[in-house]
Amino acid sequence: MFNNIFKKQRYYFDSEGLLVVDMSPSSAVHYQEAVQAATQDAGFSGEDMVINFGPQHPSTHGVLRLEVVLEGELVKKVTPHLGYLHRNFEKHAEYIPYNEIVPYTDRLDYLAAMNMNLGYVLAVEKLLGLTELPERVEYIRVICAEFNRIASHLMAIGTFGLDAGAITPFLWAFRDREKILDLFEWLSGARMLYNYIWVGGVARDLPDGWVEKAKEFLDYFEPMMVEFNNLLTHNHIFIERTAHIGILPADVAINYAATGPVLRGSGVKWDLRRDQPYSIYDRFEFDIPVGEGMYGPVGSAFDRYWVRIREIEESVKILRQALDQIPEGDVFEAIPRKIRPPAGKEAYFRSEAPRGEIGFYIRSNGSDIPDRVKCRSSCFVNISLIDEISRGQLVADLVINIGSIDIVLGEVDR
Amino acid sequence: MRTYFRNVYRSLITILIGMRQTWRHLFTPSVTLQYPHEKWDLPVGTRQQLFVNIDDCIGCYKCARICPVDCIYIDTVKAKPDEDLGKASTGNPIRQHVVRFDIDMFKCCYCNFCTTVCPTDCIYMTDKYETSVYDRSNGIYHFSKYAPDYAAKLIVDEKEAEAAKAAARAAAKEKAMAAKKAKVAE
Ligand code: SF4
Ligand code: SF4
Repeated sequence: MFNNIFKKQRYYFDSEGLLVVDMSPSSAVHYQEAVQAATQDAGFSGEDMVINFGPQHPSTHGVLRLEVVLEGELVKKVTPHLGYLHRNFEKHAEYIPYNEIVPYTDRLDYLAAMNMNLGYVLAVEKLLGLTELPERVEYIRVICAEFNRIASHLMAIGTFGLDAGAITPFLWAFRDREKILDLFEWLSGARMLYNYIWVGGVARDLPDGWVEKAKEFLDYFEPMMVEFNNLLTHNHIFIERTAHIGILPADVAINYAATGPVLRGSGVKWDLRRDQPYSIYDRFEFDIPVGEGMYGPVGSAFDRYWVRIREIEESVKILRQALDQIPEGDVFEAIPRKIRPPAGKEAYFRSEAPRGEIGFYIRSNGSDIPDRVKCRSSCFVNISLIDEISRGQLVADLVINIGSIDIVLGEVDR
Repeated sequence: MRTYFRNVYRSLITILIGMRQTWRHLFTPSVTLQYPHEKWDLPVGTRQQLFVNIDDCIGCYKCARICPVDCIYIDTVKAKPDEDLGKASTGNPIRQHVVRFDIDMFKCCYCNFCTTVCPTDCIYMTDKYETSVYDRSNGIYHFSKYAPDYAAKLIVDEKEAEAAKAAARAAAKEKAMAAKKAKVAE
């Protein structure tokens, strides 16, 4: 041990073969550099160890099992194993009518059920050729989707902080998310699984005073976000902890077909709300935040987190515009009595959910039951990146990397 | 060396900024509700435990058909022609005895479809949500107003009536056949 210090080596292996990084002031080196130096050093001895991370583990965000090959503390390979929450959505959808599938889509990404409803419903409407919807319906849909995006991102950034060891921000994020859920409960009757957006319309009209309460919430929420940023986002320890790990270069992200904040965190400006506007998103003004690499390389875990923070602000912008413009009208008039698309017709529709692009492919056989429903899930695609971004890093960073991808196992396994 | 001290300085400052926020929050009332003792108000139209006002149910099976998880079980017996079962409060005539109306609340996904299709609005969601039970079978709620033995009797009666009808039909057919044969023989 003393030898190492005298040799000014920044890392060494103790008697049990564990990597010890010298963090004493005299070495004054970023531990990440030391770890990288250690990886490059070929002097590794000892055997690889394979451990199972999950499925019941608090930091896997659900029932994800990772098979991790470790060399000491360093991750050599990560293989995600899925299927612990498989509920057979696609097969099940072949046995129930179009409108009854909506509650099942709630259960895909249960943290953003409105966005799942919206994605599926828009696919069915494309299949039916239903384009003329009442204005009010379109506005309600956008408002619900954006509120749910905020709620979902609050969950994501809260648990991300939790993965990095920050507990208070998690509780604060939940406090504000709860307020959004209260709004949704007032609107649809349920807190998480809304079954609110229906083919051709929505389940209920906005209750009296809802719009005012929603605006009130936004007024309350914006200062809260500033507090949240003071507490966590600008915290130097948190930045140092996350801004140098989980680097995802833009080309790798594109090759893996990553979407959502994971792609945008790598600096790619791609958002379906702007690039392929659906519903009435083309009427609103908002920016597409991308990772800027303010504190480290572009595409780090911090950048993905930062994109989510910024997206919350953009969603607030959209919401303010939508809540001001929302017209009066009947929300039920366009709901079709029978959903029977012509036989053999097929449609694919993708929309921007909080975690990335959610796509539904539906083929009709002429009856009121679909022939095939396929769901392209963004989390499923994004989780395949976990090996790419965690290789060569510490186990503790693996936890943060999972948090930065922000998966929901309901959507991964479907 | 300089980086090191800069890092220490920045960490301290940002922690202090964060601490200021938490310090301020120390003096605001807590948002936590002590659940079993305090409860929050549920909004109108909240979706919890289902309830069926069976006096208004006309036994149309609409709710059972739209249920995505098929957790509503209904059996009906047609009323006899001379029987008057009255009308539901919405004016729809009731033409059948609903001898069985069970909802398996463990399977129910609280999607609210059944309540939207009901023509007499007799199935609806209440604001009761503390419905845990110790046994799975207790999660099945029975709403029928008929006592089990009376319901069984009604079902048996209907079966008998049907059997009698079928027998009568068969007899009539036989008669007709016999008449035909007789005609052919002539
Ligand atoms: S709420 Fe939905 S799942 Fe429950 S009984 Fe009604 S239709 Fe079925
Ligand atoms: S839809 Fe209403 S009236 Fe018809 S069977 Fe169900 S509860 Fe009874």
